[in-house]
Amino acid sequence: MDDIVIIKDLNFKYDNKLIFSRFDLEIKRGSFTTIVGPNGSGKSTLIKIILGLIRVNSYINIDQSLLCNDNLKTIRRKIGVVFENPDNQFVAETVMDDIAFSLENMKYNKVEIRKRIEKFTRYLGIYHLLEREPYSLSGGEKQLVALASALVIEPKILILDEALTMVDREVKEKTYKILQELHKTDNLTIINITHDLEDSLYGEEIVVIDRGQVILKGPKELVLEEEKVFNNIGIDLPFMASLSIKLKYYGLVDKIILDMDEMVDLLWK
Amino acid sequence: MEIKFENVSYIYNHRTPLSKQALKNINIEFKKDKINGIVGGSGSGKSTLVQLINAILVPTYGKVRIGRFTNQNGKKIKNVNKLRFDVGLIFQFPEEQFFNNTVKKEIIFGMKYFKYQTNNIDKRCSDALKMVELDDSYLERNPFSLSGGEQRKIAIASVLAFNPKVIILDEPTIGLDSGSKNNLIKLIKMLKNKYNKTIIVISHDVDMLHKISDYIFVLDKGEIVLEGTKYEIFSQPDVLDKYGIKCPKIMDFSNMVLLKKGIKIGYRDDIMDLMKDIYRYVK
Repeated sequence: MDDIVIIKDLNFKYDNKLIFSRFDLEIKRGSFTTIVGPNGSGKSTLIKIILGLIRVNSYINIDQSLLCNDNLKTIRRKIGVVFENPDNQFVAETVMDDIAFSLENMKYNKVEIRKRIEKFTRYLGIYHLLEREPYSLSGGEKQLVALASALVIEPKILILDEALTMVDREVKEKTYKILQELHKTDNLTIINITHDLEDSLYGEEIVVIDRGQVILKGPKELVLEEEKVFNNIGIDLPFMASLSIKLKYYGLVDKIILDMDEMVDLLWK
Repeated sequence: MEIKFENVSYIYNHRTPLSKQALKNINIEFKKDKINGIVGGSGSGKSTLVQLINAILVPTYGKVRIGRFTNQNGKKIKNVNKLRFDVGLIFQFPEEQFFNNTVKKEIIFGMKYFKYQTNNIDKRCSDALKMVELDDSYLERNPFSLSGGEQRKIAIASVLAFNPKVIILDEPTIGLDSGSKNNLIKLIKMLKNKYNKTIIVISHDVDMLHKISDYIFVLDKGEIVLEGTKYEIFSQPDVLDKYGIKCPKIMDFSNMVLLKKGIKIGYRDDIMDLMKDIYRYVK
């Protein structure tokens, strides 16, 4: 599989502070990658760079086209983004109109718009909110509406920037399962940016960023073994990874086991 | 300070076609000098409940007793600011309300605005900073240039400046990375232990509530459906499931061992202790 996102030798300064220096990153097509790093490590800046909202002189290639003025519009149509605070993204007076906004801009016909909105809002369990005013919703509901808006354009890449922080844990689990489905059936590439490593368990790959550098990268089972690296940047390991490492040290298991059910069965055969 | 709800109901837009009942017949008493957690899903009434404590809202029915004050329909509290000095409320994402260019101005603003009586406003300001473990070097810094965790602390300091007896925090750790989160949890515990504050924390983050709370109330659709110590609450996964609430991961594990293998390994706060228990049972 080819890389759907390629960033080479990215250098970026903001307010005289070095955010990225000689930063390289490749994201495989159809992968589900979690990008994790402490507050202020440059995660959100990275998305703005990928979307061309912040212009840089480095080599950035999205879905086989170079990020430059001529390609900007085409590239942005392939990417659905959900930011942490959905209040900044709402434009219309009802949830329905809000989700329709980008589709209308892309000149889809009314029937198609209606069809897609119904499909994705039913998926996410927010169909009953369509006539509501976005500002009257709870934080978690707002985040789900923002997610629906990103999904209806049927993007090739979905970028989540702390996008489900206000959603209750139960709803969050359901939502991640839906995203895993879309990832499998539609070969959707998902980039999930978070500082909660617990969320990385829903994905496959993990990229760890600190001070503008990729310090660790790979399949989650391998990356999560690096307890020291995470201690150094002040990020807690997921509970199951942390427990596995301790049990491994005492010889009770021989690898990281992230599924609680599996772990209990293995310990008490 | 005593905080007691007696048959409290709250209905938004009461006696209009838009009326919506947010709280139903609440009878609870918060534990003095302890950290009280309130957990519940979105729309369960958590925020309404705490706004009744510092009289931003007045109960539709029933009484809320807060020390020498009573918040009750038809009886206006004289000098409601005094109540609000006693009960400090820190909203979700408090840093979004910053608008001064130095930390000092930000902390002093509230005291001046509410005409708080103190002989030494500067000292009160540094004391408040000290309580959140930041030194005077922060006074002249721009709050917008600070990290997320530090901003959260400044917001707490600006409430501590009133010297409240009760501190209410709405989702205090939301949006923070685990380093800043653990730091803030330690700080909130210290406010209880060292300064004897009664603390009320609202959250949907059960792992955080498990780390911080001495006592927990569970709200569902405007009613208190459970209350007890964290062990009493989180050892009932089936009951919590009905209300859409999960258990903290560390207690989930013990619950699952009991459910699947019928073995009671007990509940632990620390993962190292849990590991030792597992070792003992498995070996």
